[in-house]
Amino acid sequence: MDKELQDLENELQALMPKQPTAQLTRRIEAELSPRQRIAWAWVALPLAAAVALLFAFYPEPTTPNRPAPNLVSAPVAEVTTPPVFKPVATQNLLYDAQDNGIVTLADGRKGRQVSRSYVDTVVWRDPQSRASLTWSVPRSEVRVTPISFQ
Amino acid sequence: MTLSKQTPVTRRMEATLNDESWKNWFQHYGPKLLLCARQWTRSYADAEDVVQEAFVRFWCHQRHLDGDPRALLITSIRRSAIDLARSNTRRTNREENTAAANEPYFEPAIGTDDRSLLIEAAIRRLPAPQREVLTLKIWGELTFEQIAEELAVPLNTAASRYRYALAALRNELSSAECHG
Repeated sequence: MDKELQDLENELQALMPKQPTAQLTRRIEAELSPRQRIAWAWVALPLAAAVALLFAFYPEPTTPNRPAPNLVSAPVAEVTTPPVFKPVATQNLLYDAQDNGIVTLADGRKGRQVSRSYVDTVVWRDPQSRASLTWSVPRSEVRVTPISFQ
Repeated sequence: MTLSKQTPVTRRMEATLNDESWKNWFQHYGPKLLLCARQWTRSYADAEDVVQEAFVRFWCHQRHLDGDPRALLITSIRRSAIDLARSNTRRTNREENTAAANEPYFEPAIGTDDRSLLIEAAIRRLPAPQREVLTLKIWGELTFEQIAEELAVPLNTAASRYRYALAALRNELSSAECHG
């Protein structure tokens, strides 16, 4: 390359691209802030636990037609028996998926990286008391699938 | 994407990436990334959108990956820009596009305003493939190898587009100075 083109190249390098707007920086800041990155599922978890506890310990409402319980004959062991919860339903909710593009693996091969975010929910129920416990937890999954270009 | 060998610039970038201060990093590289994004988007606002998307994805998930972060980010930006271009939901009207197209590429340079305006006008008149390569080389700071890979063109094509772009700029600027 002749000197004139090199000078021009240097002149171009000296030009400063326009700064992003303050709004863009604020938007990125909002997305990267830890508060924003707390998955909503984390909020759901204590809420679900609270609801489950409420169901577990709140006395079942009595209906007018139901005969009054015989307090004398009620076995004491029935009250003190700990609840036995069994899983009755599970669900994996996919709420975000991002294609992170092509990455190079440790062995030099190329792979496509996809990130997925789920909320796994398991419902437990005590058949005796019919109390239920819903357990929700967020899960992030990153998969890299090796690819080949032919 | 072929990841380049470790250069001093790459090492410096990776050292910077190790700290948590994304603002410092973005302050330095954001304008360059934005200029690259503008080669593939119809408006300044669209360019900011794709830079935001690509940068957040990069910072959250990709910054610890091996290789040249700049090349990774530019690939991500280009992919987001292509996705955006395909989308019909973000159409803006003609007037907005015209206004956005006139948004300056560069910060005004003190004392050499006329010259930088001439250069910018000449860059805008370049054929898009040449302008794209010029931008990726000068402000994206990619190698010809990375540019060729990014644009899926042979290495020689990337290099020759760059030379044609520089030659065209030189001719335009010489002509403008003669007539100016």
